[in-house]
Amino acid sequence: MKIGRIFTKGLIFDNPIFVQLLGMCPTLAVTNSAQNALGMGLATTAVLIGSNAVISLIKNLIPSKIRIPAFVVVIATFVTMIGMLMKAYLPDLDKALGLFIPLIVVNCLILARAESFASKQTIFPSVVDGVGMGLGFTLGLTILGAVRELFGLGTVFGVTILGDFFQPASIMTLPPGAFLALGLLLALFNKLTAKGLNEL
Amino acid sequence: MRDIIRLGLILLLITSIAAFVLGMTNDFTKVIIQERAEQANVEAIQALLTDAEDFNKVELDSIEGIIVESYEGTKNGVIVGYTVKTKPQGYGGTVEVLVGMTIDGKISGVKVGEHTETPGLGSKIADASFIDQYLDKATNLVFLVRKDNVTSDEEIQAISGATISSEAVTDGVNAATQLFEDVLKNR
Amino acid sequence: MSVTSIFLILVSSILVNNFVLSRFLGICPFLGVSKQVETAFGMGMAVTFVMALAAIMTYIVQKLVLIPLGLEYLQTIAFILVIAALVQFVEMVIEKTSPTLYQSLGVYLPLITTNCAVLGLTIINIQMEFNLFEAVIHAIGAAIGFSLAIVLFAAIRERLELYDVPVVFRGFPIALITASLMSLAFLGFAGLV
Repeated sequence: MKIGRIFTKGLIFDNPIFVQLLGMCPTLAVTNSAQNALGMGLATTAVLIGSNAVISLIKNLIPSKIRIPAFVVVIATFVTMIGMLMKAYLPDLDKALGLFIPLIVVNCLILARAESFASKQTIFPSVVDGVGMGLGFTLGLTILGAVRELFGLGTVFGVTILGDFFQPASIMTLPPGAFLALGLLLALFNKLTAKGLNEL
Repeated sequence: MRDIIRLGLILLLITSIAAFVLGMTNDFTKVIIQERAEQANVEAIQALLTDAEDFNKVELDSIEGIIVESYEGTKNGVIVGYTVKTKPQGYGGTVEVLVGMTIDGKISGVKVGEHTETPGLGSKIADASFIDQYLDKATNLVFLVRKDNVTSDEEIQAISGATISSEAVTDGVNAATQLFEDVLKNR
Repeated sequence: MSVTSIFLILVSSILVNNFVLSRFLGICPFLGVSKQVETAFGMGMAVTFVMALAAIMTYIVQKLVLIPLGLEYLQTIAFILVIAALVQFVEMVIEKTSPTLYQSLGVYLPLITTNCAVLGLTIINIQMEFNLFEAVIHAIGAAIGFSLAIVLFAAIRERLELYDVPVVFRGFPIALITASLMSLAFLGFAGLV
């Protein structure tokens, strides 16, 4: 497979959020603002690139029977490292994301890429796959975060977009708003892709 | 059986490498995290009591209720005021409230630290428009949250839709001023 | 340990801080295994079983291994391994002792390792500084909350099958909007504790 194709597959055609619906817990939980969503997306991307790279390197050394626990250890190591670095250099973001940083370990997206891609490929395509899937995840999270922040607080990335005339709907930053916004965005995505397919 | 031992050993090896790498990262980041925390703490209390130059932790005989810790602020060796950190119960969990008080009995600063209040509603307790209500008021007042119009100094206008969060901050401030009146200023 | 505090932990974890609808833990099985009430119930039971055991095991690991050795930073990696081993172990025991139970729960067990509700629960238990008893109560409450949400959700989705949903909303979009309404209902419990 072409390298460019691997990248765009993760970013758009097999988008982890809108197409594969993977990693739904952080998707719903940390998207109450665009900034948190972006931070979570990038942290996940970093873990994904690291775990994909290491797993593609050591794939031949691991017997298939203990494949999954070994992958989980590799992923958990990267998650803990990213967590420590965030605590040291980005303490505010670390506080905002809280529990969901250690929970990157159980983000199905990462284990799915390790199992279905990195354990069968060499390091270079694996890293590209990690970047593509990670950025695709980040893109989905950030769109969702921006939409929720816009309607919930009238801002995006803390910048006021909707002025005083707009009465913010706080419900969008609360749990029900997370489910609602993702449901409506998925419907919109379906609508757009269905239309796109018909026109082709 | 031998297979199980072999698999176990491989997994043990992987885990040991992981633990080693994490140990190294931890040694490296631990120092930075600690420094950051101390620095953030100093900056926070400095902002509450701008007159003071040095801060020393006050050894309280008994830490009661929601009081967490207290610092005395000095300038040229003279105590100019105190800061008190409290953790009252809010709507979504505990709220960190820091209060600075000058030695002559005035509130010089209030800051809302870590909290898990509802974004867009309870989170407004951290905004200046709410916090500034306590500023420059006397420490011997007992503050009371009001939902309607505020008429006197000890009344605090609640944030609309977030009375519990507003009360939490007020509880924190009251506990701090009480500690100041009962213990700190008589030291 | 008073009766009231047990009651508070239960009410809080079942209704107020419902794992699925307000903490967003365990969303994957919530969306994935909720097409039928029967399977949803099976998943709920399997999760309850694993959560209660995981709460005990991770508590022991934290207090007797990680803290004495000063290795708290290995928490994530240690807990996920404990949960993975536990799930494997439970699967083996159930398979040997009760084939009927294995038939009803077996298929859900492997899915539980990557269920963030279990890892999330064990980390929250440590963060909240619960003792062993409180941790187990919290685990049971969280699991009941999870089961309640997933079974109710499955019941609604079974009925949704019969309705004429607009094409673009079929499948996940309408399921998410349903979940949103359930979450809204559970928001009514906020401030109860």
